[in-house]
Amino acid sequence: MVRMTDLPPPTQTSMANLECPVFTSAPFVSGPPLAKRRVAVVSSAGLLRRGERPFVSGDTDYRAIPIDTPADQILMSHVSVNFDRTAFQRDINVVFPLERLQAMARAGSIGSVAATHYSFMGASDPRGMEANARAVAGRLKSDSVDAVLLTPV
Amino acid sequence: MSALAHYLEAEGLPAVAISLIRLHTEKVRPPRALWVPFELGRPLGAPKDQAFQTRVIAAALGLLEAASGPVVLENFPEDDPTAIDAPNWQPPFDLTAGMPDLGDAAALDRALRQEVLAIAPFHERFVASSGRTTIGLSGLTIDECAARLAVSLSGLSPAAHDPAVSPAQALRWAVDDLKAYYLEAMAADGAMPSSRQMQAWFWDRTLAARVIVALRRQLLASEDKRSQAIGRMNLVPGAQVLRLGLQ
Repeated sequence: MVRMTDLPPPTQTSMANLECPVFTSAPFVSGPPLAKRRVAVVSSAGLLRRGERPFVSGDTDYRAIPIDTPADQILMSHVSVNFDRTAFQRDINVVFPLERLQAMARAGSIGSVAATHYSFMGASDPRGMEANARAVAGRLKSDSVDAVLLTPV
Repeated sequence: MSALAHYLEAEGLPAVAISLIRLHTEKVRPPRALWVPFELGRPLGAPKDQAFQTRVIAAALGLLEAASGPVVLENFPEDDPTAIDAPNWQPPFDLTAGMPDLGDAAALDRALRQEVLAIAPFHERFVASSGRTTIGLSGLTIDECAARLAVSLSGLSPAAHDPAVSPAQALRWAVDDLKAYYLEAMAADGAMPSSRQMQAWFWDRTLAARVIVALRRQLLASEDKRSQAIGRMNLVPGAQVLRLGLQ
Protein backbone atom coordinates (compact mmCIF):
# COMPACT_ATOMS: atom_id res chain seq x y z
CA MET A 1 0.00 0.00 0.00
CA VAL A 2 1.07 3.58 -0.48
CA ARG A 3 0.15 6.39 1.85
CA MET A 4 1.59 9.87 2.24
CA THR A 5 4.32 8.51 4.50
CA ASP A 6 5.32 6.04 1.78
CA LEU A 7 6.06 8.81 -0.72
CA PRO A 8 9.56 10.29 -1.11
CA PRO A 9 10.02 13.25 1.27
CA PRO A 10 10.12 15.87 -1.54
CA THR A 11 6.84 14.51 -2.91
CA GLN A 12 5.30 14.54 0.57
CA THR A 13 6.31 18.17 0.96
CA SER A 14 4.93 19.24 -2.42
CA MET A 15 1.70 17.34 -1.76
CA ALA A 16 1.31 18.96 1.66
CA ASN A 17 2.00 22.43 0.30
CA LEU A 18 -0.14 22.17 -2.82
CA GLU A 19 -2.65 24.99 -2.85
CA CYS A 20 -6.14 23.53 -3.13
CA PRO A 21 -9.31 25.34 -4.18
CA VAL A 22 -11.68 26.22 -1.36
CA PHE A 23 -15.40 26.30 -2.11
CA THR A 24 -17.98 28.26 -0.17
CA SER A 25 -20.88 26.20 -1.52
CA ALA A 26 -21.42 22.45 -1.08
CA PRO A 27 -23.64 21.10 -3.87
CA PHE A 28 -25.15 17.69 -3.22
CA VAL A 29 -27.54 16.09 -5.69
CA SER A 30 -29.55 12.95 -5.07
CA GLY A 31 -30.69 10.47 -7.68
CA PRO A 32 -32.39 7.15 -8.31
CA PRO A 33 -31.00 3.81 -7.10
CA LEU A 34 -27.72 2.76 -8.74
CA ALA A 35 -29.44 0.01 -10.68
CA LYS A 36 -31.25 2.71 -12.62
CA ARG A 37 -28.38 5.12 -13.14
CA ARG A 38 -26.33 5.85 -16.25
CA VAL A 39 -22.65 6.05 -15.27
CA ALA A 40 -19.75 7.93 -16.87
CA VAL A 41 -16.06 8.07 -16.03
CA VAL A 42 -14.26 11.39 -15.84
CA SER A 43 -10.54 10.91 -15.30
CA SER A 44 -7.72 13.34 -14.61
CA ALA A 45 -5.11 10.91 -15.98
CA GLY A 46 -4.43 12.83 -19.18
CA LEU A 47 -6.02 10.17 -21.38
CA LEU A 48 -6.45 10.70 -25.09
CA ARG A 49 -7.07 8.79 -28.28
CA ARG A 50 -4.15 7.96 -30.55
CA GLY A 51 -3.60 10.77 -33.00
CA GLU A 52 -4.88 13.48 -30.66
CA ARG A 53 -2.48 16.06 -29.27
CA PRO A 54 -1.03 14.87 -25.95
CA PHE A 55 -1.55 17.07 -22.90
CA VAL A 56 1.25 19.44 -21.93
CA SER A 57 1.94 21.35 -18.73
CA GLY A 58 -0.80 23.84 -17.91
CA ASP A 59 -3.49 22.32 -20.15
CA THR A 60 -6.97 22.72 -18.70
CA ASP A 61 -8.95 21.28 -21.62
CA TYR A 62 -10.25 17.75 -21.96
CA ARG A 63 -10.54 14.83 -24.37
CA ALA A 64 -13.75 12.94 -25.10
CA ILE A 65 -13.45 9.15 -25.37
CA PRO A 66 -16.45 7.30 -26.87
CA ILE A 67 -17.35 4.00 -25.24
CA ASP A 68 -16.54 2.05 -28.40
CA THR A 69 -12.92 3.31 -28.51
CA PRO A 70 -10.71 0.19 -28.53
CA ALA A 71 -8.40 0.03 -25.50
CA ASP A 72 -5.35 -0.04 -27.74
CA GLN A 73 -6.33 3.39 -29.06
CA ILE A 74 -6.18 5.07 -25.64
CA LEU A 75 -2.94 6.62 -24.37
CA MET A 76 -1.93 8.48 -21.22
CA SER A 77 -0.10 11.81 -21.36
CA HIS A 78 -0.23 13.12 -17.81
CA VAL A 79 2.76 15.46 -17.39
CA SER A 80 3.87 14.05 -14.01
CA VAL A 81 6.32 11.15 -13.90
CA ASN A 82 5.75 10.67 -10.16
CA PHE A 83 3.10 7.98 -10.27
CA ASP A 84 2.97 4.37 -11.37
CA ARG A 85 2.21 3.74 -15.04
CA THR A 86 2.96 0.01 -15.04
CA ALA A 87 -0.51 -0.94 -13.80
CA PHE A 88 -2.16 1.11 -16.58
CA GLN A 89 0.18 -0.51 -19.09
CA ARG A 90 -0.97 -3.95 -17.97
CA ASP A 91 -4.66 -3.14 -17.58
CA ILE A 92 -6.42 0.01 -18.73
CA ASN A 93 -9.26 -0.68 -16.29
CA VAL A 94 -7.06 0.21 -13.33
CA VAL A 95 -7.49 3.86 -14.39
CA PHE A 96 -10.30 3.89 -16.96
CA PRO A 97 -12.67 1.08 -15.96
CA LEU A 98 -15.14 1.07 -18.85
CA GLU A 99 -15.04 -2.74 -19.19
CA ARG A 100 -15.75 -3.09 -15.47
CA LEU A 101 -18.72 -0.71 -15.70
CA GLN A 102 -20.08 -2.58 -18.71
CA ALA A 103 -19.88 -5.82 -16.72
CA MET A 104 -21.69 -4.15 -13.81
CA ALA A 105 -24.40 -2.96 -16.22
CA ARG A 106 -24.80 -6.49 -17.61
CA ALA A 107 -25.10 -7.77 -14.03
CA GLY A 108 -27.73 -5.14 -13.25
CA SER A 109 -25.85 -3.40 -10.45
CA ILE A 110 -25.86 -0.16 -12.46
CA GLY A 111 -28.37 0.85 -15.10
CA SER A 112 -26.14 1.61 -18.11
CA VAL A 113 -22.81 3.05 -19.21
CA ALA A 114 -22.51 6.46 -20.88
CA ALA A 115 -21.84 6.75 -24.59
CA THR A 116 -18.87 9.08 -24.05
CA HIS A 117 -16.35 9.49 -21.23
CA TYR A 118 -13.87 12.28 -20.55
CA SER A 119 -10.34 13.01 -19.39
CA PHE A 120 -8.61 16.08 -18.08
CA MET A 121 -4.91 16.30 -17.09
CA GLY A 122 -4.78 16.67 -13.35
CA ALA A 123 -1.41 18.39 -12.93
CA SER A 124 -2.96 21.71 -13.93
CA ASP A 125 -4.70 24.02 -11.47
CA PRO A 126 -8.28 22.70 -11.30
CA ARG A 127 -9.67 26.25 -10.99
CA GLY A 128 -8.64 26.75 -14.61
CA MET A 129 -10.73 23.72 -15.56
CA GLU A 130 -14.03 25.05 -14.22
CA ALA A 131 -15.52 26.25 -17.51
CA ASN A 132 -14.48 23.05 -19.26
CA ALA A 133 -15.80 20.92 -16.40
CA ARG A 134 -19.15 22.66 -16.62
CA ALA A 135 -19.15 22.09 -20.40
CA VAL A 136 -18.47 18.40 -19.79
CA ALA A 137 -21.38 18.35 -17.35
CA GLY A 138 -23.61 19.66 -20.13
CA ARG A 139 -22.43 16.97 -22.52
CA LEU A 140 -22.96 14.28 -19.88
CA LYS A 141 -26.46 15.47 -19.10
CA SER A 142 -27.35 15.44 -22.79
CA ASP A 143 -26.35 11.74 -22.69
CA SER A 144 -28.74 11.27 -19.72
CA VAL A 145 -25.85 10.51 -17.34
CA ASP A 146 -26.80 10.74 -13.67
CA ALA A 147 -23.71 9.28 -11.98
CA VAL A 148 -20.05 10.23 -12.51
CA LEU A 149 -17.06 8.26 -11.26
CA LEU A 150 -13.93 10.41 -11.11
CA THR A 151 -10.61 8.60 -11.34
CA PRO A 152 -7.29 10.36 -10.59
CA VAL A 153 -3.75 9.06 -10.94
CA MET B 1 -10.20 15.48 -9.08
CA SER B 2 -12.16 16.66 -6.06
CA ALA B 3 -12.61 20.10 -7.63
CA LEU B 4 -13.96 18.50 -10.83
CA ALA B 5 -16.47 16.59 -8.69
CA HIS B 6 -17.56 19.90 -7.16
CA TYR B 7 -18.04 21.56 -10.58
CA LEU B 8 -20.04 18.59 -11.95
CA GLU B 9 -22.22 18.41 -8.85
CA ALA B 10 -22.85 22.16 -9.07
CA GLU B 11 -24.25 21.53 -12.56
CA GLY B 12 -26.66 18.98 -11.10
CA LEU B 13 -24.66 15.83 -11.84
CA PRO B 14 -24.13 13.44 -8.92
CA ALA B 15 -20.39 12.72 -8.77
CA VAL B 16 -18.10 10.59 -6.62
CA ALA B 17 -14.33 10.96 -6.67
CA ILE B 18 -11.79 8.28 -5.94
CA SER B 19 -9.18 9.89 -3.69
CA LEU B 20 -5.51 8.88 -3.68
CA ILE B 21 -4.28 11.85 -1.62
CA ARG B 22 -6.61 12.03 1.34
CA LEU B 23 -5.13 15.34 2.52
CA HIS B 24 -6.17 17.10 -0.71
CA THR B 25 -9.67 15.64 -0.55
CA GLU B 26 -10.04 16.83 3.05
CA LYS B 27 -9.08 20.34 1.93
CA VAL B 28 -11.26 20.54 -1.20
CA ARG B 29 -14.28 18.75 0.35
CA PRO B 30 -15.95 17.33 -2.78
CA PRO B 31 -19.55 16.09 -2.46
CA ARG B 32 -18.46 12.46 -2.12
CA ALA B 33 -15.12 10.66 -2.20
CA LEU B 34 -13.74 7.22 -1.52
CA TRP B 35 -10.17 7.29 -0.28
CA VAL B 36 -8.19 4.26 -1.44
CA PRO B 37 -4.84 3.18 0.10
CA PHE B 38 -3.26 2.51 -3.29
CA GLU B 39 -0.14 3.65 -5.06
CA LEU B 40 -0.41 6.85 -7.09
CA GLY B 41 -1.40 5.87 -10.63
CA ARG B 42 -3.68 3.03 -9.50
CA PRO B 43 -7.08 4.42 -8.52
CA LEU B 44 -8.66 0.98 -8.91
CA GLY B 45 -5.77 -0.78 -7.18
CA ALA B 46 -4.89 -4.11 -8.71
CA PRO B 47 -4.33 -4.54 -12.45
CA LYS B 48 -5.99 -7.59 -14.04
CA ASP B 49 -8.09 -8.25 -10.93
CA GLN B 50 -11.65 -7.75 -12.11
CA ALA B 51 -13.23 -8.70 -8.76
CA PHE B 52 -11.03 -6.29 -6.79
CA GLN B 53 -11.59 -3.40 -9.20
CA THR B 54 -15.33 -4.02 -9.16
CA ARG B 55 -15.36 -3.87 -5.35
CA VAL B 56 -13.64 -0.47 -5.49
CA ILE B 57 -16.12 0.84 -8.08
CA ALA B 58 -19.09 -0.53 -6.14
CA ALA B 59 -17.83 1.08 -2.92
CA ALA B 60 -17.38 4.43 -4.70
CA LEU B 61 -20.70 4.38 -6.55
CA GLY B 62 -22.41 3.20 -3.36
CA LEU B 63 -21.65 6.62 -1.85
CA LEU B 64 -24.04 8.10 -4.43
CA GLU B 65 -26.86 6.43 -2.54
CA ALA B 66 -25.75 7.85 0.82
CA ALA B 67 -28.51 10.09 2.08
CA SER B 68 -26.38 12.16 4.42
CA GLY B 69 -24.30 14.86 2.83
CA PRO B 70 -22.83 17.00 1.49
CA VAL B 71 -19.25 15.91 1.99
CA VAL B 72 -19.04 12.16 2.31
CA LEU B 73 -15.48 10.82 2.69
CA GLU B 74 -15.13 7.09 3.27
CA ASN B 75 -12.10 4.80 3.32
CA PHE B 76 -11.79 1.69 1.16
CA PRO B 77 -10.85 -1.10 3.58
CA GLU B 78 -8.63 -3.32 1.38
CA ASP B 79 -5.03 -2.94 0.28
CA ASP B 80 -3.88 -3.61 -3.27
CA PRO B 81 -2.69 -7.25 -3.22
CA THR B 82 -0.33 -6.58 -6.16
CA ALA B 83 1.54 -3.78 -4.40
CA ILE B 84 3.98 -6.15 -2.71
CA ASP B 85 7.17 -7.35 -4.39
CA ALA B 86 6.98 -10.62 -6.31
CA PRO B 87 9.41 -13.06 -4.64
CA ASN B 88 12.59 -13.73 -6.62
CA TRP B 89 11.35 -11.81 -9.63
CA GLN B 90 13.79 -11.26 -12.48
CA PRO B 91 12.96 -9.73 -15.86
CA PRO B 92 12.94 -12.23 -18.72
CA PHE B 93 16.03 -10.65 -20.28
CA ASP B 94 19.49 -9.62 -19.12
CA LEU B 95 20.96 -6.40 -20.48
CA THR B 96 24.03 -6.01 -18.33
CA ALA B 97 26.52 -6.73 -21.13
CA GLY B 98 28.22 -3.79 -22.80
CA MET B 99 27.76 -0.27 -21.45
CA PRO B 100 29.40 2.15 -23.89
CA ASP B 101 31.05 5.45 -23.15
CA LEU B 102 28.19 7.95 -23.24
CA GLY B 103 30.53 10.45 -24.91
CA ASP B 104 31.01 8.23 -27.96
CA ALA B 105 27.93 9.14 -30.00
CA ALA B 106 28.26 6.40 -32.60
CA ALA B 107 28.91 3.67 -30.03
CA LEU B 108 26.04 4.91 -27.89
CA ASP B 109 23.59 4.94 -30.78
CA ARG B 110 24.66 1.41 -31.73
CA ALA B 111 24.45 0.05 -28.19
CA LEU B 112 21.05 1.60 -27.51
CA ARG B 113 19.66 0.15 -30.74
CA GLN B 114 21.05 -3.26 -29.72
CA GLU B 115 19.42 -3.02 -26.31
CA VAL B 116 16.08 -2.09 -27.88
CA LEU B 117 16.43 -4.96 -30.35
CA ALA B 118 17.20 -7.45 -27.57
CA ILE B 119 13.93 -6.59 -25.84
CA ALA B 120 11.80 -6.68 -28.97
CA PRO B 121 10.64 -10.32 -28.70
CA PHE B 122 9.46 -9.72 -25.14
CA HIS B 123 7.62 -6.57 -26.06
CA GLU B 124 5.98 -8.35 -28.98
CA ARG B 125 4.76 -11.04 -26.59
CA PHE B 126 3.41 -8.41 -24.20
CA VAL B 127 1.43 -6.77 -27.02
CA ALA B 128 0.20 -10.11 -28.34
CA SER B 129 -1.13 -11.16 -24.94
CA SER B 130 -2.50 -7.82 -23.73
CA GLY B 131 -3.78 -6.62 -27.09
CA ARG B 132 -2.38 -3.14 -26.64
CA THR B 133 0.64 -0.96 -26.01
CA THR B 134 0.75 2.47 -24.38
CA ILE B 135 3.55 3.58 -26.71
CA GLY B 136 2.53 6.37 -29.05
CA LEU B 137 2.91 9.85 -27.55
CA SER B 138 5.97 10.74 -29.62
CA GLY B 139 4.60 9.61 -32.97
CA LEU B 140 7.92 7.83 -33.52
CA THR B 141 8.80 4.16 -33.82
CA ILE B 142 10.79 2.74 -30.92
CA ASP B 143 13.93 2.70 -33.05
CA GLU B 144 13.34 6.37 -33.81
CA CYS B 145 12.80 7.10 -30.11
CA ALA B 146 16.13 5.48 -29.26
CA ALA B 147 17.84 7.39 -32.07
CA ARG B 148 16.32 10.66 -30.84
CA LEU B 149 17.72 10.09 -27.35
CA ALA B 150 21.17 9.28 -28.68
CA VAL B 151 21.22 12.26 -31.06
CA SER B 152 19.97 14.61 -28.34
CA LEU B 153 22.67 13.45 -25.96
CA SER B 154 25.33 14.04 -28.61
CA GLY B 155 24.26 17.69 -28.67
CA LEU B 156 22.87 17.62 -32.20
CA SER B 157 19.37 18.86 -32.87
CA PRO B 158 17.11 16.02 -33.95
CA ALA B 159 15.15 16.49 -37.15
CA ALA B 160 12.01 18.43 -36.28
CA HIS B 161 8.97 16.18 -35.95
CA ASP B 162 6.32 18.79 -35.30
CA PRO B 163 7.16 22.49 -35.44
CA ALA B 164 4.50 23.22 -32.80
CA VAL B 165 6.35 21.07 -30.26
CA SER B 166 9.56 22.19 -28.56
CA PRO B 167 12.58 19.88 -28.91
CA ALA B 168 12.56 19.25 -25.13
CA GLN B 169 8.88 18.32 -25.18
CA ALA B 170 9.39 16.03 -28.17
CA LEU B 171 12.34 14.45 -26.36
CA ARG B 172 10.19 13.93 -23.26
CA TRP B 173 7.57 12.02 -25.27
CA ALA B 174 10.28 9.88 -26.88
CA VAL B 175 11.56 9.14 -23.36
CA ASP B 176 8.01 8.26 -22.24
CA ASP B 177 7.58 5.87 -25.15
CA LEU B 178 10.96 4.23 -24.56
CA LYS B 179 10.24 3.76 -20.85
CA ALA B 180 6.86 2.21 -21.70
CA TYR B 181 8.58 -0.15 -24.13
CA TYR B 182 10.98 -1.46 -21.47
CA LEU B 183 8.38 -1.68 -18.71
CA GLU B 184 5.83 -3.41 -20.92
CA ALA B 185 8.50 -5.90 -22.06
CA MET B 186 9.25 -6.68 -18.39
CA ALA B 187 5.60 -7.63 -17.96
CA ALA B 188 5.70 -10.13 -20.86
CA ASP B 189 4.23 -13.57 -20.25
CA GLY B 190 1.95 -12.32 -17.48
CA ALA B 191 4.72 -11.43 -15.04
CA MET B 192 3.40 -9.35 -12.12
CA PRO B 193 6.37 -7.73 -10.39
CA SER B 194 5.62 -4.68 -8.24
CA SER B 195 6.14 -1.26 -9.77
CA ARG B 196 9.02 -0.75 -7.33
CA GLN B 197 10.79 -3.84 -8.67
CA MET B 198 10.28 -2.80 -12.27
CA GLN B 199 11.44 0.77 -11.70
CA ALA B 200 14.52 -0.31 -9.75
CA TRP B 201 15.51 -2.74 -12.48
CA PHE B 202 14.97 -0.21 -15.25
CA TRP B 203 16.91 2.59 -13.56
CA ASP B 204 19.74 0.36 -12.29
CA ARG B 205 20.28 -2.00 -15.19
CA THR B 206 19.53 -0.45 -18.56
CA LEU B 207 21.52 1.71 -20.91
CA ALA B 208 18.29 3.54 -21.75
CA ALA B 209 18.03 4.73 -18.14
CA ARG B 210 21.67 5.87 -18.11
CA VAL B 211 20.99 7.90 -21.25
CA ILE B 212 17.83 9.43 -19.73
CA VAL B 213 19.75 10.41 -16.59
CA ALA B 214 22.43 12.03 -18.78
CA LEU B 215 19.75 13.86 -20.79
CA ARG B 216 18.26 15.14 -17.55
CA ARG B 217 21.66 16.57 -16.61
CA GLN B 218 21.95 18.14 -20.05
CA LEU B 219 18.51 19.79 -19.88
CA LEU B 220 19.17 21.09 -16.37
CA ALA B 221 22.25 22.88 -17.74
CA SER B 222 20.22 24.42 -20.58
CA GLU B 223 19.61 28.16 -20.67
CA ASP B 224 16.03 27.59 -21.81
CA LYS B 225 13.69 27.59 -18.81
CA ARG B 226 11.16 25.18 -20.32
CA SER B 227 13.95 22.72 -21.12
CA GLN B 228 15.22 23.06 -17.55
CA ALA B 229 11.72 22.37 -16.20
CA ILE B 230 11.33 19.24 -18.32
CA GLY B 231 14.76 18.07 -17.18
CA ARG B 232 13.96 18.75 -13.55
CA MET B 233 10.46 17.27 -13.46
CA ASN B 234 9.57 15.12 -16.46
CA LEU B 235 12.29 12.61 -17.26
CA VAL B 236 13.32 10.84 -14.04
CA PRO B 237 10.75 10.13 -11.29
CA GLY B 238 11.41 11.94 -8.02
CA ALA B 239 11.74 8.65 -6.15
CA GLN B 240 14.54 7.60 -8.52
CA VAL B 241 16.27 10.99 -8.31
CA LEU B 242 16.39 10.43 -4.57
CA ARG B 243 17.33 6.75 -4.73
CA LEU B 244 20.09 7.30 -7.30
CA GLY B 245 21.42 10.37 -5.49
CA LEU B 246 21.04 12.62 -8.53
CA GLN B 247 21.48 16.37 -8.16
